[in-house]
Amino acid sequence: MKGNIDRYGFGLKTMRKNMKIINMSRILYYLVLLVLFACATTGGDIYRDPNMDFGVIKTIAVMPFTSLTRDNVSAERVRDVFINKLLSTGAVYVIPVGEVARGIAKAEIQNPSTPSPEDVKKLAGIIKVQALFTGVLREYGEVRSGASSANIISLSLQMLETETGKVVWSASSTKGGISIWDRLFGGGGKPMNIITEKAIDDLIDKLFK
Amino acid sequence: MILSINYLNKMISISLFLKIKKEAKRKSKNIHSRYLSFLIILIFIVFLNLSNLEGMPLKEEKFFIAVFPFENLSGTFAPLKDFRALYIRKLKERRFQILSEDILERFMAKNRIRYTGGIDKETARALKNETNVEAVLITSLEHYNDTNPPKLALTSRLVSTGDNSEILWIDGFGLAGDDSPGILSLGLIEDPNELLSKAIESLTKSLENYFLKETGKEIIKGVSKKFQPKTYFRSNIFDSGNKYRVAVIPFFNRSERKNAGEIMVLQFIKNLKNAGKFDVIEPGIVRNKFLTLRIIMEEGISLSHADLLFTELDVDLILSGKVMDYQDYQGTYGKPKVDFSLQIIERRSRKVVWSSNSNNEGDEGVFLFDFGKINTAHKLASNMVKAVTNLIIK
Repeated sequence: MKGNIDRYGFGLKTMRKNMKIINMSRILYYLVLLVLFACATTGGDIYRDPNMDFGVIKTIAVMPFTSLTRDNVSAERVRDVFINKLLSTGAVYVIPVGEVARGIAKAEIQNPSTPSPEDVKKLAGIIKVQALFTGVLREYGEVRSGASSANIISLSLQMLETETGKVVWSASSTKGGISIWDRLFGGGGKPMNIITEKAIDDLIDKLFK
Repeated sequence: MILSINYLNKMISISLFLKIKKEAKRKSKNIHSRYLSFLIILIFIVFLNLSNLEGMPLKEEKFFIAVFPFENLSGTFAPLKDFRALYIRKLKERRFQILSEDILERFMAKNRIRYTGGIDKETARALKNETNVEAVLITSLEHYNDTNPPKLALTSRLVSTGDNSEILWIDGFGLAGDDSPGILSLGLIEDPNELLSKAIESLTKSLENYFLKETGKEIIKGVSKKFQPKTYFRSNIFDSGNKYRVAVIPFFNRSERKNAGEIMVLQFIKNLKNAGKFDVIEPGIVRNKFLTLRIIMEEGISLSHADLLFTELDVDLILSGKVMDYQDYQGTYGKPKVDFSLQIIERRSRKVVWSSNSNNEGDEGVFLFDFGKINTAHKLASNMVKAVTNLIIK
């Protein structure tokens, strides 16, 4: 019997060797998994107030966005796309921008893109909304790196609850930029409109998830 | 009257045709003569169609119109007087009766009319009372470029005079010299006058067709999906069976192109009117209301201003928007770009019932030999607005 086992390689020594190899590969597998998990993002760019009931919000207003870019129209363009995307979800009603402007003028808000809690309460009393959105457009347009160029957008949004003036949700998104493909083959990236829509879709996904 | 003459003409033609057909039948005993009779039928059908469009007089009593001086929205210098003279000549050829130049000038001086891009109620009433014209033709030059290949965009509308001033007909054309170059570029138009003549001929033909068919209702033909808005919201409040009265208020112009807001307003008026489901208020009346009510829009129309306009203009919908980009290009290489957003507020609900964002470029979906390329922003915008209108009325 022993002779048979030896002949077919199922001896004790061979088995131990095989087990060792299996154990080693298991350890390596878990190590790789650990490294991969360590590299993953933590989702830290979203803040959501755990005590807030988002279901009660039916009417909202989108305040003018702050633009940190050189293009003056970009903030207005992004705001327009955001309003449309929000409306098209069917979950909330966004009041017309002209009505928001009237409210801002009536409430005498000095800095409408970053309103204080008092400003928020005052404005909500005039335009009758349950929440306000403010936003900062951090980057919009073409970026260059060496010989390559591509379009990029970086946007952060905040939702303020109008009863208390508190921030109840905040998120940011960056889309576009120079990819490896752009570096290797050129091409200039995707059009500005497409990456704007992608960034806003990403933010809306974060809002409703 | 036109119809009766048309019928008479048709009856004579049909009786003649029947006689010839009988004769042909009698003689025809083999298969060849059958072909002959088919050929005769074909010739008669073609003859009938041609006689309807070309041979008939426009009207027994001529339609009396005033042609306002052209409004220049192109942002460049253009020989507008020559354009207008050519338009009047073409209209006279089509048997329209045109108000003489000196009477029009006297009327405009007396009533202190400086704005010729529209007509308000008072002016329309005064024009009817003082000159007895039935309608006024208002034309806007949207684009003019005489460098090779030339480009031109014109929109013209006929507005009735009297107490109930309304848009009777509106059409526009955006043409480029290299729209259809053909084989060996034999179809290229290098002379701007030739292009102008083509545009004005198309306008007069369209106006004449309006009178011949006695209807301004055109079914909007389907446009390619690529022109549809990139994002849109359509409220359930919209009832596609209803006919709405709409006021198109001035668009905000955030583009670098001068007068792009006014151009987009004309595009919407044209497409909404031709869709047949909207009564569109003459923009001159809307402008006048803005001035008299002292409405100044900061970023868009507020609900309080909207309420005022709903009551004053007696409309169901207010259409407003923003133009982000409206670009034409010079020369052979380039592409037009148009980017705009739109909002519609409804009277009863006081809510936004439509909101959309549209952006397109002239070379989208073009892969080979510029086949299908759009050369003017006018044509591109027209397709985009058509796509929006189709979605609104669906």
